[in-house]
Amino acid sequence: MSTLSDRVVSTLGPYVGDTVADTCVRATALSLGKTADDLTPSDFPTLEANVRRLLGPVAPTAVVDQLLADIERGL
Amino acid sequence: MTATTTPSRTPRALSAGTMLSGGALIALVGLFALLSVQMYAENLSDAAYAASYWFGTSLQILFALVIIFVALRIGWGQHVGKQWFFVGLGVAAYAAGDIAWTILDLHLGLDPYPSVADLFYTLEYAFFFIAMVLAVRSYRSITDLRTPVIIGAVISVVAAAAMYFLLLKPYIFAAGVEELGTWGLVVSTLYPLGDVFFMLGPAMTLAIVIMRLGAGRLAWPWWIVVVGALVFSMADSLYSYADWSGAGSSTLLEMGWMSANLLFALAALVARDVYRVR
Repeated sequence: MSTLSDRVVSTLGPYVGDTVADTCVRATALSLGKTADDLTPSDFPTLEANVRRLLGPVAPTAVVDQLLADIERGL
Repeated sequence: MTATTTPSRTPRALSAGTMLSGGALIALVGLFALLSVQMYAENLSDAAYAASYWFGTSLQILFALVIIFVALRIGWGQHVGKQWFFVGLGVAAYAAGDIAWTILDLHLGLDPYPSVADLFYTLEYAFFFIAMVLAVRSYRSITDLRTPVIIGAVISVVAAAAMYFLLLKPYIFAAGVEELGTWGLVVSTLYPLGDVFFMLGPAMTLAIVIMRLGAGRLAWPWWIVVVGALVFSMADSLYSYADWSGAGSSTLLEMGWMSANLLFALAALVARDVYRVR
């Protein structure tokens, strides 16, 4: 897995489970026409949009903001 | 940008505030359980009996306030805030039913069943059902909900069939309007069906959704809600059966509603923690 994928799963996994975290990665890769392994830090804006869309209904905005900041900080 | 150097945030365990608040709620329910045994054994004076009665009712109000407070802190504008608000409204409706029941039974000397209290009690089903639907639907972009919904519906139908053959047909429908009156027949039928269609089934659907996703800590409070719904529906159904079959109730059985609403309040406290990143 790429650095971005690893980072997403390790950050989101404890909160939403690895399956959902992986779904966020795959949705991002799919929308960019890439594989999860091909994602790079420059794909973060697309990842952010997908994470907000998928996790918005299951977590407060502040939590999603914080998790995205954690992902971005590690890139 | 560089390679990963910052470790991911390690989620905190439950806060000291939640542990203390939850422990206090559990201790209060434990105290009520002890008082309840004395009430059942008719070992209390009239004043002590009345005080214990109101103590139990006050606990339900406290549970509702805890959940609604947490929901408002999360915010009505948040999807999850709405979900918890409806859980809180459900417990508040139950507490309102308890207040009405206590006044009718304890102070007015009237038979509280059926009465306006049942209107509030049955409202808990409606609010809880809305909360469960909102919670399940929040996962619709992440996973397919059709299978969990079908399984939840099948569980409800099977449980309803059991209710029909064990409770409704032999006792409640047999008593009919002649014995129960129209309102009595309606609420006596509504309780067991509400337990399976508005509590058990939706809670099982949510459990399957979060189980399939291998959900993390954001699902912790919902697991507690699922257990609470199981306790509520089991206690309510068993109480109805014990009452109608003549088997007789018990303190343990009557603590079921209290335990369920306690679990909903504990779940809200846990939610407050898991929705807080820092």
